[in-house]
Amino acid sequence: MHWRPACLLVLGIFTSLIHGTHIAEEQFEEELVIKSLEDGRVASTFTFTTLLKDASPRDPRTLALEDDEPQHYTLFPLTLGQLLRQYAITELHLTLNAGKWKYDSWGYPVAAGVGTGAELYAWLADGAPSSIDERWQGLRNALAGLFCASLGSLDEQRTTSPHLSFPPEGLLPDWDGLPHEIRHASHASEHVCTENLTPFLKLLPCKSLSGLASLLNPHRMFDADWHGMGLHVLWRPEGVEVRLNFQMVSDPLRSSTKKQDWSFSSLYDRTVVRTCPVAKSSRAVVSLPNNGVYSIVPEPSTIEAGKGRYDLKDKKPDETLDIQMQWGADFEYPLTSPASLVPFSVQRKLHGPTQDRGQLALVLQNHGSETIKVSYLETMPWLVQFYLHTIQIKVDGVRRDDLISNISYVLPVPHSRPATFYSILTLPGRSTVTYTIDVTKAFLMYTEHPPDAQRGWDLPPAVFVLLDPPSGGQHVAAQGFRVYSPSLLVDLATPDFSMPYNVIIFTCSVVAFIFGSIFNLLSRKFVIVRLDG
Amino acid sequence: MDNNWRIRLRRRFRPEGDPNLVRVRRRKAIVSAFSRRVTFLRLILLLVGYIWMVALPYPQLGRGIYIDENALQPGQVNTYWGWGDVHNSDRYLDDLERLRDSNATSEQRAQYLDTEFRKIGLFSSTQTYQFTSQDINGTNTYAILSSPRAPGVEAMIISASWLSRIDDGNGALNLRGVATVLALAKFLKQYSLWAKDLVFVVSDGYLDGMQAWLSAYHGTIQSNLEAERLEMSSGVVWTALNIDYPGHSFSHLGVFYEGLNGRLPNQDLMNSFHVICSRMGVPVVLYDHLDPRSYPDRRKELDWLPEWLPGALRNDPEVRAYAYNARNVWRHVVHQASGRGSGVHGLFHQFRIDAFTMFALPATGPHGFHALGRVVESTLRTSNNLLERLHASFFFYIMTAPNRFMKIGNFLPSAVLISVAMMFTGLKEWSDSGWTQETLRNAEKSTETQAPGWTRRPRPVLRALCIMISSHLLGVATYLLMNSGWDGQNSIGGMLVLTMACIFAFGVSAVCSKSDRGGAAPIASVLKALNLCFASTIISATTVLNFSLAASLAVFLGIPLSVSSTSKNLPLRASKFSLYLFLSLGWVLKHERLNWNWEIMGVWLLPFLWIVYFPLVLQAGIVCLL
Repeated sequence: MHWRPACLLVLGIFTSLIHGTHIAEEQFEEELVIKSLEDGRVASTFTFTTLLKDASPRDPRTLALEDDEPQHYTLFPLTLGQLLRQYAITELHLTLNAGKWKYDSWGYPVAAGVGTGAELYAWLADGAPSSIDERWQGLRNALAGLFCASLGSLDEQRTTSPHLSFPPEGLLPDWDGLPHEIRHASHASEHVCTENLTPFLKLLPCKSLSGLASLLNPHRMFDADWHGMGLHVLWRPEGVEVRLNFQMVSDPLRSSTKKQDWSFSSLYDRTVVRTCPVAKSSRAVVSLPNNGVYSIVPEPSTIEAGKGRYDLKDKKPDETLDIQMQWGADFEYPLTSPASLVPFSVQRKLHGPTQDRGQLALVLQNHGSETIKVSYLETMPWLVQFYLHTIQIKVDGVRRDDLISNISYVLPVPHSRPATFYSILTLPGRSTVTYTIDVTKAFLMYTEHPPDAQRGWDLPPAVFVLLDPPSGGQHVAAQGFRVYSPSLLVDLATPDFSMPYNVIIFTCSVVAFIFGSIFNLLSRKFVIVRLDG
Repeated sequence: MDNNWRIRLRRRFRPEGDPNLVRVRRRKAIVSAFSRRVTFLRLILLLVGYIWMVALPYPQLGRGIYIDENALQPGQVNTYWGWGDVHNSDRYLDDLERLRDSNATSEQRAQYLDTEFRKIGLFSSTQTYQFTSQDINGTNTYAILSSPRAPGVEAMIISASWLSRIDDGNGALNLRGVATVLALAKFLKQYSLWAKDLVFVVSDGYLDGMQAWLSAYHGTIQSNLEAERLEMSSGVVWTALNIDYPGHSFSHLGVFYEGLNGRLPNQDLMNSFHVICSRMGVPVVLYDHLDPRSYPDRRKELDWLPEWLPGALRNDPEVRAYAYNARNVWRHVVHQASGRGSGVHGLFHQFRIDAFTMFALPATGPHGFHALGRVVESTLRTSNNLLERLHASFFFYIMTAPNRFMKIGNFLPSAVLISVAMMFTGLKEWSDSGWTQETLRNAEKSTETQAPGWTRRPRPVLRALCIMISSHLLGVATYLLMNSGWDGQNSIGGMLVLTMACIFAFGVSAVCSKSDRGGAAPIASVLKALNLCFASTIISATTVLNFSLAASLAVFLGIPLSVSSTSKNLPLRASKFSLYLFLSLGWVLKHERLNWNWEIMGVWLLPFLWIVYFPLVLQAGIVCLL
């Protein structure tokens, strides 16, 4: 233990720069929330929270100094801690999702970030010797390595700074008024799979050996109708919090069974045998249905507000926990569209079958009777460019351009920067608002076409945030909740790369023919030749 | 010796003397050799073109089908469709038959389908539509199966129209097709292997319902259509399978593939289907054409070869293969040239969706829901494998037999040759009109060896162009006239157009003959030259857009336009003109149908006939009158 005095000395010198030291107290909690959904599916959300007490993010100004601060963690993931210190990240959110979250029938997810594909955003303060963009790039690459995901492609062609739609979730430290900035990028065609789950599990103190994490069985996770993982780092007054979550929506009715029954073994093909010894708390919460005959085994230890709680810490060492819910009757799909679980729903489409022009169309439905306001953010790669003067808003067929306000638009720069379009839309009560804008599709340089099979370019989801929910309504909790629209696929003009030889021959012949004849005419000397006879 | 040979060769290609002089001389020799033989040449071209066209069904010109896109991997999967699903289909069929027997309205049918889709657990909705110009309305039903894990940006469509194509949408119901779609929806939902969303569409009517649905899906609603907005939507559709099963059982699955305006689906899709069917033991035919060679006892009804042919010829295997292929090619040309396509699948191609109809050929057996379900399942699995849109140059082909096709290089030249022949005829006419053989007054005095001199004469190009432009304007006018309220009274409209054409032609010829200037070339000659050149260009340009249309144009315009000529005899002139008039307007008898195609589906054959074809033939008629 002779290194401890040295460490304390360093601590004394760099008190302000550190977010983690060996003496900081660490705390790990895990929770599983399971909910039966209205369309027969079952949503489960795993949340693993590690709190590094009394730590704070690194001041970027100290990046100039050599960092010999040792990072001794017992529960906090070291690889992540190093990365956060290296780039002085204040807040970080990474989500990797597969599938389309159906807000209308599934309601809001437990964790908001459910956009298709990869999404990464971070809040960083300026003041470091290297610029924010350099540190953002480093962060991307480091996370790409850490999570085996192609986050490296979230380059400047996809990076935007939409600070209004992505406010910091925690606190931003005040370093003599240093400005904080956000960097955001998403990549809709990223697919999440086993190779991302393994590094995810490695960040947990008990890995997948015990506790709730032992339920994370890749064979079942990645067969679910919707699944996604998230990493969130934020600073709260208590300290730095790292929250890892995994959400999935499984369909117990898929395999021709008629009941909505589920159990740990049917959903995950695993049961909890051991509890994670270092977890401060470890619980499973089951949302109990309001109607229908069902039984739940074992009985929850406590039931409050329609939720049954199980404390895994109470589990006897020799018993395995396999919560089972069984229904008395067969599940019947609703024959009419049930009332939407969210105050408004969104449909987004890219119309126009041609490869040069198109129209982006949004259909927003306000299900409530009161007027609501939503912010609308579009972070569009330069592949699709907007014509702002063509924005048309119609309510039930009548043009109402007054419903859009606070437009801010960052122009795209072809081949380098995406566009950021932010505006506030007013949705009158019980109405369907259609928003259309004409777009032009870019013509790519041939080196910009990806070398692999070409299905089109994925456009990231648009983000909507409910600004002021109707007073006293059931959707107060929805305020500030980000709603992601489905992603889109755009077809750009693509040469048929399967036959480059023909293309080259054709092009060369045409060019040679035109050039040859024109050059001949221009350079020829015309003389009169007399033919005898 | 070797050296000598080299020198001789060099002399031949690089003779001594001024190289410029040599070049000019050589060029003149080539041109004169060419122009001396141009009549012969164009005859040869015409002949070769027509013979080539007739030879298209010849088996040796085609080749066997193959799969170009490696990702498709057709027939490589186990299928799970079983007798339980057949039972489901039968139950759905019972319900549908009850609906049919109770004369259910469109809404009631849609309501039933919507409920069934919802019972399966799919997002389902209906869409009402109305074509204002034609008094057509109905209700479509569609359901979307969002595939697990997929972002829902790509989709495949499985569709069935309420009316079958068996009598071209005139009333026969596609009940089994609809039942198959319902049972498939229930069955396919059980699997998590779909990479693309599956969209099930049961369209009302025959073609109109799907046109309304697709327009709404792609946000391109035409002006005469009032279609409800689609409540739900999926992503970009890549492939679509249309199921048509009108009979009780089927013996073969027929492939119908021609789309609107001559578009064809990617051949890989049909080839995969063929491979899958062969693996499943379901025979495939083109259209509903059974091969008479496989059914000797039904030869009378199936064979195209007339009975008066000598037996040796009639039973020759090559001839029989030719006759069978010829029947397929002829059907293809009719479907493609008409621009109407051969069924509901044809509506998809305009949105870059590769689609075809699998038509269950009514028979007493042996196949039914079981075979059809397995084939559809496997075909869907194949298109599910696609990583990119079907591409390669597999869009230009003629299927001569279910497992044989012709590549573009083997059929395109036939029409192009005819168009080249027309171009040569036109150019010859053009150069002839610019020169006149001067009969010199002193010719008799001079020696006999002196050839008569050629002198130039002006060509009345502007007047000829005016005639052409005004005849096309007449085409536009008649098109507008026929499409504005005359559609109900075709006979009156037809008579009116006939009168207008006659007045126009006689007026033009009267004006031209009056203002004929001495010394200038006859206007008939210039008009014929320009007419031929223009027609030739049109045929060449159309070949890659719609080969069948171009080939039909080559047949209808090739010889008639080349032989148009004036004569001194008035009755002969008049009868010639009336022949041309018949050629240019004979198709008006089918105007109602063409108009329906144009208004509902945007088939541009009608405006093309009015604005391009009719004026071109009329111009040839005017040439005869002048």
